[in-house]
Amino acid sequence: MKNPIARLIIVLALISVGSGLFLALTYTYTIPHIEANAARDQEIAILETLPGAVSYQELEQTDFPIYKGLDSNGNIVGFSYVVEGGGFQGIIRMMVGVDPQEEKITGVKILNHSETPGLGARITEPVFLDQFAQKSINDNFEVKGDVDGVTGATVSSKSVSAIIKQSLPQALEQYKVLGGGK
Amino acid sequence: MKSGYEFYKGLWDENPIFRLLLGMCPTLAVTNAAMNGLSMGLATTFVLLGSNIMVAALKGIIPDKVRIPSYIIIIATFVTIADLGLAAFFPDIYKVLGLFIPLIVVNCIILARAEAFASKNTIGMSLLDALGMGFGFTWALTLLGSIREILGMGSLFGIQLFGEGFVSWIIFILPPGAFLTLGLLLGLFNATLNKKKTQCG
Repeated sequence: MKNPIARLIIVLALISVGSGLFLALTYTYTIPHIEANAARDQEIAILETLPGAVSYQELEQTDFPIYKGLDSNGNIVGFSYVVEGGGFQGIIRMMVGVDPQEEKITGVKILNHSETPGLGARITEPVFLDQFAQKSINDNFEVKGDVDGVTGATVSSKSVSAIIKQSLPQALEQYKVLGGGK
Repeated sequence: MKSGYEFYKGLWDENPIFRLLLGMCPTLAVTNAAMNGLSMGLATTFVLLGSNIMVAALKGIIPDKVRIPSYIIIIATFVTIADLGLAAFFPDIYKVLGLFIPLIVVNCIILARAEAFASKNTIGMSLLDALGMGFGFTWALTLLGSIREILGMGSLFGIQLFGEGFVSWIIFILPPGAFLTLGLLLGLFNATLNKKKTQCG
């Protein structure tokens, strides 16, 4: 090729096209696995926060995702909702399970967070989260009063409590309005 | 003899972390546990292998003026493949490393090997160089991660080593622990290497 500029453009374009082709192939091959992983994680989180549930349905037209859990006979055991709020270093996203009939929380699971490893990150441990289960939805979830915070991570612990406390009324209302059943 | 050295040099003499001090961002950020260090090292080795082979294969075609953009495209392609592959097949590791996988693209080791080695050598030699550098990076990250995990959490690869009474030094899994551990290891490496030199001379 005589024109060096044309050569530059052609080589760069060819490399980019090759790269795009390669990536498209990888993407098509991996995306079913990635989606399956996400779906599995979601199912585990929903069923873990709703003891007794074996399947779930997503409610439509909600402001945030709400899922109702069904037991093996198709009865509603409660609902789970996804909520996020500020933590110590970033957003804490979690799944909260509620039994609307008994008016209590059935379980809490942290979906993702960016709290300090070894300190705030321990909010994902059952020792801390299990304290919320069986608490009334009218509880204050006060850290150091109603629940014991994670040692060295007061801010993270308080954030989890506050997010649950703030989101509960809204979640209950949405659930009732949209006819969660019962 | 020479080909053996191209592999071996990355492990020790030109170890990317302890000798060249390249790729400090992932080194400091992800080594809070042995498993994280090992996975990050292997992911980087994969990208290094792919980019070195491609750069060596295309060295005659890529014009000098656009070599850096070309290398970056090649590297970014392999990083994206690693990212998608980890998300699809190793979701647990992916959750921990998350953000740091795309950041492999700016890891100086990879561009440095493409520019300094693969663009001047054969595919075979570049492959050996990538393997040596990759494994050198991996063992260094794993060592850092192990030390920090043992001191900071009392475990190694997630297995508890000490009894209930062990008070973990949280600082070692926090960012300052990375600097402390790396600094001490670098000092140790320099001390042993200098000793060797004086003995030879």
